[in-house]
Amino acid sequence: MNATALPLPAPRRDSLGARAVRQFRRDRTGMVALAVVLGYLAAAAGVWFGWWATDWGALTGTKWEPASAAHWFGTNIIGQDIFARAIYSTSVAFEVGLVVALAATALGAALGAAAGYFAGSWLDEVLLWFMGVLEAIPFYLFVAAVAFALQDSPWAMQVGMIATFWIGTARLVRGEVMKLRGIEYVEAARAIGLPSPVIIARHVLPNTTHILLVQASIAFVGAIKTEVILSFLGIGIRDGVSWGLMIEESTKEVLAGFYNNFLAASLLMFGLVMAFNTFADALQDALDPRKVG
Amino acid sequence: MAAAPPVLRVRNLTVEFATDAGIVRAVDDVSFDVAGDETVALVGESGCGKTVTGLSLLRLVPEPPGRYAGGSIELAGRDLLALPGEALPAIRGRDVAMIFQEPMTALNPVFTIGTQMADVLRQHRGLSRSKARAEAAAMLAAVNIPDPDRRLDDYPHQLSGGMRQRVMIAMALSCRPRLLVADEPTTALDVTTQAQVLAEFRRLQQEFRTAVILVTHDLGVVAETCTRAIVMYCGSIVESGPTAELFRHPRHPYTRGLLESVPRVRAERLPELPVIPGRVPDPGRLPAGCRFADRCSRVQSRCRDARPPLQPVGAGVPVSVACFNPW
Amino acid sequence: MPIAQYALRKLLAGIPLVIGVTLVSFALMVYFGPDRTYELLGKNPTEEQIAEVRSQLGYDRPFAERYAGFLREVVTFDFGYAATGEPVATLLARTVPVSLLLILPGFVLGHLVSLGLALLAAYWRGRVADRLIMALATVGMSVSFVIVMIGFQIVFGSSDWLGWFPVRGWSTDSVGEYLRYIAVPTLATMFVAIGYDTRFYRALVAEEMTRDHVRTARAYGIPEARIFTRNILKNCLIPVITRVMFSIPSVAVGGSLLIESYFGIPGVGRATYEAIITGDQPVLKAVVTLTAILFVLVVILNDILYRVVDPRVSLE
Repeated sequence: MNATALPLPAPRRDSLGARAVRQFRRDRTGMVALAVVLGYLAAAAGVWFGWWATDWGALTGTKWEPASAAHWFGTNIIGQDIFARAIYSTSVAFEVGLVVALAATALGAALGAAAGYFAGSWLDEVLLWFMGVLEAIPFYLFVAAVAFALQDSPWAMQVGMIATFWIGTARLVRGEVMKLRGIEYVEAARAIGLPSPVIIARHVLPNTTHILLVQASIAFVGAIKTEVILSFLGIGIRDGVSWGLMIEESTKEVLAGFYNNFLAASLLMFGLVMAFNTFADALQDALDPRKVG
Repeated sequence: MAAAPPVLRVRNLTVEFATDAGIVRAVDDVSFDVAGDETVALVGESGCGKTVTGLSLLRLVPEPPGRYAGGSIELAGRDLLALPGEALPAIRGRDVAMIFQEPMTALNPVFTIGTQMADVLRQHRGLSRSKARAEAAAMLAAVNIPDPDRRLDDYPHQLSGGMRQRVMIAMALSCRPRLLVADEPTTALDVTTQAQVLAEFRRLQQEFRTAVILVTHDLGVVAETCTRAIVMYCGSIVESGPTAELFRHPRHPYTRGLLESVPRVRAERLPELPVIPGRVPDPGRLPAGCRFADRCSRVQSRCRDARPPLQPVGAGVPVSVACFNPW
Repeated sequence: MPIAQYALRKLLAGIPLVIGVTLVSFALMVYFGPDRTYELLGKNPTEEQIAEVRSQLGYDRPFAERYAGFLREVVTFDFGYAATGEPVATLLARTVPVSLLLILPGFVLGHLVSLGLALLAAYWRGRVADRLIMALATVGMSVSFVIVMIGFQIVFGSSDWLGWFPVRGWSTDSVGEYLRYIAVPTLATMFVAIGYDTRFYRALVAEEMTRDHVRTARAYGIPEARIFTRNILKNCLIPVITRVMFSIPSVAVGGSLLIESYFGIPGVGRATYEAIITGDQPVLKAVVTLTAILFVLVVILNDILYRVVDPRVSLE
C-alpha cells in the first residue's frame, strides 16, 4: 500500500526568516517599540537632510529661558535652543550607533567565523589570545589610549568602541561555526573541494544571521550609551553636540535648579534606548531557533 | 486479580495543550482502573498520549501550556484534579511516584544521590538527617547496589546509566507509594542492562506490593512484565485487556499492526517487514470518525462517520476494544 | 591535580595575556602616544634642546628597545612617579582601598538583589509580578548610568529635594559618615546593575527550570519554593559566579572611574581619569598592567570555584 496516496495534511513549510517576521509582527510590544525607533530615525534623517535643527549652534536666545513657542525646551546656559540641540544629538546618536554596530558586527562575524572554522589552529589561538588581551584592558583606558594614538581624531571614540565591541559577537559566532562545521552540507562542500573562504561566506555565515542581528542590536544600544558616558567624561564626541555633551553641560545647571537641558537629553535618550531594547527583545524572541515548531 | 480494589481510577481524562497551531488534545476521554497488585502497560507509538497520561497521574503536565480539560484521577479515593495545587507535594512521591526515561538527566547533577534520596525521605516521612541517610542506604541495598554507604556520597555522573536507574527505582519505592508510574524506564539503557533492571523491577514490585503503570513502546517489555496492557492511539484507548489475551488475539487492527511490526526472530525470513501503512494524523486535524481509519485495512464506511466507543467484547473475555469491525 | 599546582600552571598560561596587554598598551599609549617633548621645554627651544629631551624620553630609540624597557618596569613593578611627583606605588596604595570601600557594598547588594528578583520573577513566571519586575529591569537597563548618577544626586542630595545625603565628596571618619557618603553612588550603581543582572539571572533560572531533574524534584513532592531556593539556585551558581567574577576587574577600575570623578571621591578611578586627561603615563601603565594581572587571577579563581560548586568539573 502506498503511503503517499493517503490524504495527509501538508505541513506548512516556510523559511526561518519568514517565520521570524510573522512571529515578530504578532508581538504587539515589539511592533510599538519598532514604531518609536522609526520615529527617532525620522528625526535623525531630517537633520541629515538639513530639514530641521540646523541652528543647533546658534545663540538664538538668552541664558536659561523657560520653554516657550520659540524655544520648545527653553535655552541653555549660553542661550542656545535646547530642542534643536537635542534633535541634532539624535542624529549624532544614530551615526555613532549605526557605524559602531555595523563595523563591530562585520568584524566579529569575519574573525569569529575564521576562528571557529579553523578552531584549534594557530589562527584560532592567536585570535583568542587577541580577544582576551583586548578584554583585559579597562575599556575607558583603551578608548583614551586609542584617542592618544589617533592624535585626537574625531573618530577615536568610534574606533575604540569597534575595537572592543566585536569580541562578544566573535565569540558567539566562533561557537556557532564550530557546531556548523560538523554538519553534513558543510562537510559535503569541503569534500567537493570548495575553498574555505567560499564555504564560510556561502554556507556557514548565513546560518549565523540570527546571532548577528541580535548582536548588532546590542552593539547599537551599547554604542549610544557608551557615547554618553565617554562624552560626559570628555573623551567622546569632540566637536558639535551630543546627548552626552548636553548632559555634561547640564551638570553645571542642575545644581542651580535649571533642569531643561538635563531632562531633554536624558528623556530623549531613554526613550530611544528603551524602545530599542524592547525591540531587540522581541527580535530575539522571534529569532530564537529553539522556539521553532 | 479483579478481587483487589482499584488504587487508581481514571475517568474521562482529557488533557489539552495550547500550541502555535491552536488547541491540541493530547489525551482524549481516557478511562481505566488499576488494582493494587497489578502491573499495567500503557502502550503506543510516540505522540499517542501515553506519556502525558503518565505525567497526569502525578498532575505533572506543565500548566500552561497544558490544561486538564476534564475528567477525574482518583488515587486511593481522592481526585487529584480536584485538589488545590498546594496539596500536591504531599501526595507526589508518597502516594504516587514516578521513574523517568533519562537516568542521565533526571537526577540533579550538583547534589549527591544520598542528598537527593534523603530529601524525599525527610519530606514525606519526617525522618532526621541521619535516619534518612540510613534508610536511603537500605533502599540502595534493596535494589542490589553494592556498597550502598559509599554510593550515597557519589554524584549522579559517577554512576553508570543502569546504576542511576536503580537509584531512581530505590528513590521511587523509598516512601512505599501505592502507585508507581514508570515512563520508558529502560529505553535509554543498553540491552543487557535493560534485562537486569527489568528483572529487578519485577522482583521489587512483588516485594513492595506496589501497583505499577509502565509507559512504553516496547512490546517485548510489556510481554515480560505486565499483567494487563492498554493500547493508545491518537490520545485515546483503542484496546485494553490481559497481556496474554491481547498478544494471542489482538482484536483492534492497530494492536495487530503493532504486534506484527515488532522485529523478532522468525523461522523464515519474510519478504518485507510488515509495517502499518500511512502516518499518524496531525493532532490538530483529527478526522471526525475513527482516527485509525485512514491506515486501516478493515475500514468500513461507518468508520469515517463516527468514532467507535471502547466496549467490552463480551463472551466472558475481559477485553475492551474501540472498533466497529474488530478481528 | 592539587589546587596549588593547578593555579601555578594557570598563572604561567596567563603570561601571554599580560604580555599582550602590555604590548597593546605600550603601542597605543607610548609608541603612538602623545609627544611630550614640547610640554617639557620652555618657549622657543633650540634644536639641541629638542634633541636632548627626545633622547631623555627615549623617542630616538627603536620600538623593541623601548618596549623592553616598558616590560622591565612592569616585571619589577617599578612604575616610577606620577606627574604630581608622588610615587605610583604610593598613589595606588592610597587610592585602591578607597575604591574598594566605595564599590563593594553596591556590587554585593546589586548581585544579591538581582538574583532575588530573578528568582521571584521566575517563580511567578507569566504573572503580573513577573512582568512588572522584568519591565522595571528593562527600564533600569535603558537609563544611562550618567543620568541615574545625576538624577539620584539631585533627588537624594540636593537641599531642594530630599537632601538626605551629601551631594559629593568622601569621608571615612566614622562608619556613619562613610555610609552617608557612599549612599548615593551605591544606589546609582545598584539601580543600573539590577537592570542588567536581573534579566540575565531570570533567563538563567528560566532555563534551569526546564531541566529534567527539576521535574523529578517536583514528582517527588519537593515544594516549589524549596526547588527554587535550593535545587535551581545551586544549579545556577556556575554562571552566576562567572558573571560576578569577570565583572570584578572592570568594576574595580572602570566602574568607579565615572562615579569617583563625578562625586569627587579620591579613589583609583579618579586617579586614572586624571591620568587619562593629563596623559600621565606612569599611572596609566600601572593601572593597565595591574588590571590585566587581576584578570588572570580572576580566571584562575573562577576555575577553582567551579570545582567547588560543580562536582562534574575537574581541574585539568
